[in-house]
Amino acid sequence: MRSGNFKVAYKTIRESRWQSSLTMFGIVVGIVSVVTIVSLGQGIKRQIIGEIKSVGSDLITVRAGKGIKRDANGNIQKINPDFVYGFGSGTLNDRDVAIVEGSAGVKDATPIRLLNGSAIANGREYVDGFVLGTNPSLPNLVQQKVEYGSYFTTGETSRQVAVIGKTVAEQLFQENVPLGQVVTIRGEDYIVRGVFEKFTGNPLGQGIDLNQAIFVPAPTLKEVAGTAAPVVRVLARPQNPNDAARLASQISAAIQESHGGQDDTTVLLQSENLQVTSSVLDKLTGFIAAIAAISLVVGGIGIMNIMLVSVSERTREIGVRKAVGATNRQIRNQFMAEAIVLSVLGGVIGIAASFVVNFVIKVTTDVAPVITWPIVLIAAFVSVSVGIIFGTIPAIKGARKDPIEALRIGN
Amino acid sequence: MPIISIKDVSKLYGFGDATTVALDEVSIDVEAGEFVAVMGPSGSGKSTLMNIIGLLDRPTHGEYMLSNRYVSKLRSNQRAKMRRDKIGFVFQSFNLLPKLTVLDNVALPLMYRGVSTVKRLQRAEDVLERVGLKERQYFMPKALSGGQVQRAAIARALVGDPQIIIADEPTGNLDSAASLIVMELLSELHRTGNTIIMVTHNPEITRYADRVVYMHDGCIVHDQRTPVGEVPALAKKAMYVYPRKTEEDDLAGVSAMMEFRPEKSAIKKRKNKVRSKKRSSTKTKRSSNA
Repeated sequence: MRSGNFKVAYKTIRESRWQSSLTMFGIVVGIVSVVTIVSLGQGIKRQIIGEIKSVGSDLITVRAGKGIKRDANGNIQKINPDFVYGFGSGTLNDRDVAIVEGSAGVKDATPIRLLNGSAIANGREYVDGFVLGTNPSLPNLVQQKVEYGSYFTTGETSRQVAVIGKTVAEQLFQENVPLGQVVTIRGEDYIVRGVFEKFTGNPLGQGIDLNQAIFVPAPTLKEVAGTAAPVVRVLARPQNPNDAARLASQISAAIQESHGGQDDTTVLLQSENLQVTSSVLDKLTGFIAAIAAISLVVGGIGIMNIMLVSVSERTREIGVRKAVGATNRQIRNQFMAEAIVLSVLGGVIGIAASFVVNFVIKVTTDVAPVITWPIVLIAAFVSVSVGIIFGTIPAIKGARKDPIEALRIGN
Repeated sequence: MPIISIKDVSKLYGFGDATTVALDEVSIDVEAGEFVAVMGPSGSGKSTLMNIIGLLDRPTHGEYMLSNRYVSKLRSNQRAKMRRDKIGFVFQSFNLLPKLTVLDNVALPLMYRGVSTVKRLQRAEDVLERVGLKERQYFMPKALSGGQVQRAAIARALVGDPQIIIADEPTGNLDSAASLIVMELLSELHRTGNTIIMVTHNPEITRYADRVVYMHDGCIVHDQRTPVGEVPALAKKAMYVYPRKTEEDDLAGVSAMMEFRPEKSAIKKRKNKVRSKKRSSTKTKRSSNA
C-alpha cells in the first residue's frame, strides 16, 4: 500500500467531516474507556501496594481458612479471589494464638477478634462498623499512629476501654476528639481513650476499612462476647526482619500440627499479601477493561458502516477508477487506507483524550491513575487493527464491483 | 496487422429461457489510425461491443486480439492492466471525479501505473495544454462548462498514450457548439495517428469518422468506409429506420406510444428490410473471406 493512498484517504475523510468525526467518536470513546479503566486499575494497584508495603514487609499474617495453594517450594500457585476480601470465617482458636506468640523469634504478636454488631453512643446507633479485640501491640504491628490519646497498655487488657477509627469518631460521636466519652457494645460501656490517625492501608485484608473499627482489648472482648467474637487473624512480627519467611513456615507447621495435621489456615508474608492482592486486582481490571473493549467493537462496526455507505455512494467513482485501469487490489487498498486513517485518527485523539481524562481524575479525586506505555501501545495497536478488521469487508465489496455496472449507476 | 481483431464474439446474459443475446457472433477488425463510428439503436449491442473492446467485459464466446495478444480469456486484474496501458475512455457523462481537480483527474490513470507524483502531474499538464485547458488545470470539474469537462476527459484518456481511444457518445450531453469543439479535438487526435472508436446516435458527427459501422440486434449489419468530412447517406437514414427511444419519447409518455402504434406494421416492414441487408452483408463478408 503506497503513501499516496493515505493522502487521498485523508483528503476524502476531511471532505466528509461530519460523517468522519462521528465515526471516529466511536473509536475515541472506546480507546478512552479502555485506557482510563486500565490506568485507574494500575493507579489503584500502585496505591494499594504502597499501603501494603507501608505496613512493613516482615509482617506475618495468619488467616482463618485456606485461600491459597502452594507448590513444593512454598511459592503461591493458585489464589482464591474470594479470600482476598473480608475477614473470612474462623478456624483459629486461643491455642493457635498461643502458638504464634510462643514461637521462637517472634517479637510482637496479636490476635484479632471480630465482633460484628452495632455500637451505641449518646443514644445514637452505629451499624456500619465492627469491633476488633487486639493486644496492646497492634499499633506497632500495623505501624499506625494514634492521633489523639493513646492505645491501651498491657495493664489495661481486662479493662473496658476502646480506641476508635476516624470514621467512628465522625459518624458515631460526630466530633473529632471524643476522648472520655462512652460507647456501648452489647450492653457494656467502654470509655474511649484514643482515636487512630486515618488508616490508608488495609493491613487485615482488602475491603476491611479499619477507620470504621472500634478497638478493644482482646481478653475483655472474649469475656464479654465469648464465641461470638472468634479469632480471624493473628499478626506477628519477627525479631529479625530477614527471618520472616522461615518463621512463617514454622508457624504454619505448628498450627497444622495442633489442628490434627489439617492444613486449614493460611500464613502469609506481607510480600505474599501483595501478590495475592495484585493478582486479584489485575483480574478485576482485565475484566472491566474487557467490558469497555466492547465499545471498541461498536466503534469498529461504526467504521464498517460508514465505509459501506462510502463504497455504495462512490460506486460511480469506483467504476471510473477501474475504467482508467485500477486493479481490484488498488481499489481495495484505497478503501482500506481510508478505514485505517479513520481508526488511527480516532486512536490518536482517543489517546490524547485519555491523558486529559487522566489529568482530570487526578485533580478532582484522590485516585491517581497511571497511564503506562504498554497501555498506549496496545491502544494504538488496537485502533489500527480495528481499521483493518472492519475496513476489509467494505473494501473488498468495493473492489469487486463490476466496472460496467458501477459506471451505469447514477447515469 | 489490425490493432483490434474480433472474431465471432458473442455475449450472452442470463441463462436458460431468459438468455439475452447482446452480441451475436460479431467479427470486426480495426486498423491502427482508424476513426470508427459505431451507430445503432439502443439495445443493438454497441455498448456491449465497446465494453468488450475496452476490456471492461469478457466475451462469452469468440476471440479478441488486441495488438497481437489474445485478451478474451484474461482475468480481471490482467484486463485492468491492459486497460490502463492501452485504452483511453471518453464517456457520455464525462465521469470526471468531482472531488479531484482537473489536473488530478487527468493524472489519475498514471497513478495506477505507479508514475511518481511530479512526473504524472507534469504529463497531465502537457496533455491539458494540448486540449487547451492548461489555465483551468486547478479548477474543480463542476466549475467548468460541459465542453471543457469533456475536453478534460479526453485529456485523461490521452494521458497514458493509449493505443485506442473509446468514446461512448462523447457529444451526447453537449450542446452543438461544445460538440463541435470536442469533435474537432477528436478529429485532430485522429489526424495525429490515434485510433478512435466512437459510439454515436448523431449522424451528423459521423462526418469526422473514416469508417461507419451499423449495429442492430447484436449484429454488425453494415460496415462502410467513408471519406472524412462526409456524412454517409445511410447514417442519416439509419436514424429513421431504426426505432429509437429518446428523452422526448419518455416525456411524451403514453400518448406518444399510442400515436406510435398504428405504425407497428410499418416497423415490421423496416425490420425485414434490415434483415435482408444483414444477410447481404454477411454474404459479402463470406465471399471476401473465401
